[in-house]
Amino acid sequence: MELPPRRAALGLLGLLLLVAVPDLAKLSPGLQLRVVHEGVLFGLAAVGLNLLLRHTRLVSFGHAAFFGTGAYTAAVLASHFDVTSMLVLLAAATLFGTLMAGVVGYLSLRHTGLYFSLLTLAFGQLLYAVVIGRGYFGSSDGLAVRPGEANQALLFGVEFGSEVYSVVVYYLTVLVVLLSLLVMWRVANSPFGDALDAIGQNRTRARFIGIPVRRYVLAAFVVSGIYGGVAGGMYGLVQQHVRPEPTLYFLRSGDILFMAILGGFRTLVGPLVGGIVLVFLQDVGRDVTNYFDALTGIVLVALVYGFPRGIVGSLKAGSPFRRRLASLRADPSVAGAWLRGAWNAVVDAAARAGENLRIIIFGVN
Amino acid sequence: MQIELANLLTHTLNGIQYGFILFLIASGLTVILGILDVLNLAHGELFALGAYVAFSVFGYVSGVVVAPEGPVQLGLYLGLALVAAVVAALVLVPVGAIVESVFLRPLYERDEVYQLVLTFGLLLIIKDFNKLAWGPTPVRAQNVYSGINRIPAAELVGLNFPTYKLVIIAVGAVVVVALFWFFDRTRTGRLIRATAIDREMATAIGVSPDRTFTLVFALGAFLAGFAGAIALPQSTANLAMGTNPLVLSFVVIVIGGLGSLRGAFVAAMLVGVLSRWAIWQYPPAELAAPFAIMILVLLVKPDGLFGTWGETA
Repeated sequence: MELPPRRAALGLLGLLLLVAVPDLAKLSPGLQLRVVHEGVLFGLAAVGLNLLLRHTRLVSFGHAAFFGTGAYTAAVLASHFDVTSMLVLLAAATLFGTLMAGVVGYLSLRHTGLYFSLLTLAFGQLLYAVVIGRGYFGSSDGLAVRPGEANQALLFGVEFGSEVYSVVVYYLTVLVVLLSLLVMWRVANSPFGDALDAIGQNRTRARFIGIPVRRYVLAAFVVSGIYGGVAGGMYGLVQQHVRPEPTLYFLRSGDILFMAILGGFRTLVGPLVGGIVLVFLQDVGRDVTNYFDALTGIVLVALVYGFPRGIVGSLKAGSPFRRRLASLRADPSVAGAWLRGAWNAVVDAAARAGENLRIIIFGVN
Repeated sequence: MQIELANLLTHTLNGIQYGFILFLIASGLTVILGILDVLNLAHGELFALGAYVAFSVFGYVSGVVVAPEGPVQLGLYLGLALVAAVVAALVLVPVGAIVESVFLRPLYERDEVYQLVLTFGLLLIIKDFNKLAWGPTPVRAQNVYSGINRIPAAELVGLNFPTYKLVIIAVGAVVVVALFWFFDRTRTGRLIRATAIDREMATAIGVSPDRTFTLVFALGAFLAGFAGAIALPQSTANLAMGTNPLVLSFVVIVIGGLGSLRGAFVAAMLVGVLSRWAIWQYPPAELAAPFAIMILVLLVKPDGLFGTWGETA
């Protein structure tokens, strides 16, 4: 795989931005390191989910389970076993995320399509129910990730002040994200990735050309779970407290899925961008209006009709969005025509709905 | 452990009552799923919207009528409450029709993830609409509940059981029978099933899929709204009430077999009764019980209890 120079430059710019976040956050009060960090972590889980979504065309509705498993592994080790090393916590989170993905994947992958989605969702909710019902996991209050005398996890035995701690963990995250993206890029462009593409297009045909479909799909599921586990472990280290609601609840799984689509699920870094944008939107929305949920909802609806390729996908050369932007620049009055067209379509559809209902209830005439 | 018969009966009745509510919600979801092939994530919020609208309708109605006295007035009051619930659910019909024809219609040809994103977006919007219209604090229709409970139905057989729950069981049974009758015996119902099995062939014999889809979505919304209206008097209408029924109806339709109405009914009863028993014997199992049941069923029968829509329903 050759990387075009333009794209390499863009990637470098993105990396620089990511690295500069802690300094940028000091400059402007609107941009908080904590928020960006959370977005990056959920985005990382979405990058993992995207392996399934983009290549095998399987829609998982339970990826918060692996995120939550990672987060709770870190929390349990820190609060019940007093493990202080960040790297050990992360490794354990990854390990348990992987195991969980293996079990859930093995049981859900007997099915495809909606059945698969609903099964993953049910496993996620089961996990949520177990965690919230057990005192060992702190029930709905959750567990702290503040081990040792320093009241925080240590990196190579070094203790940091609370300001420095968040920056250190952030840079650790950036490192992990970079590595994960590289790995994902390799996986997607390997023969394995091509095989997954083939499975996504037509399972039967894939089996006939000799691809061991179930094993490959399970492998992809486990890989995507690993991303969730790592991200969850990091989340535990960042927040220093893990609760079931923000990590395991099924709306979280939905968020992770929609991050991938918002950013552009046909792209590699799209889910990451989607994660940052969605978390940012939810956080800013909370400050701006009481109705922040509807704000996110409207963005999602607009996404479906206006930018089906997502943010990153829409910015790519040759996308419909770029074409429309170009025609808008050539003749700004075209925007009015679009709005009128959309409004007419809505009115027509509503009228048709009324007509249909009238015919159903009262018959023709 | 000593299990008292009266206790067992009470918990079983509780479970059946809960099962009927579950079925009312899940039936709308499964009908939409079976025929339109759309997993409507906003279904739980339609349920919540139904409960909120019912709150307003009940409030208006009980402002008009005087407090019931004597058996005849109590009976009238019960009838009025049920009519009010139906009226509340009817409000959901145009909502469903518009959601289908304006929002979902352009998406049928596209990847299914867009339908999920869209209905999830609608979920968030409807939730905040409820917040805007009825405020962030929970509301309840206590007077309907206590009014109907003054009819001493269960005491006739020496059991202490709220009459309102018996009403839910009776109403649920009527809806179940009506739904099966509709899909098995009426022309419209058969045409809907025909559309579900083979869209092109249905078009060829003169069925308008356009109209069928609008009808089905409106029916699903009506069922969700009716469930909300019926469930309201014994609990509150609040902003978080949509998610739990949504997830539970996923469980129900997966246990029953996707798209099977009969399966959804059996599964709803199973989940309702077994989870009430589980809570009675071991309270912490409350949240996990339905999912445990689902996983057990799927380990034995990976396709759910009943086959697919169309061939068997």
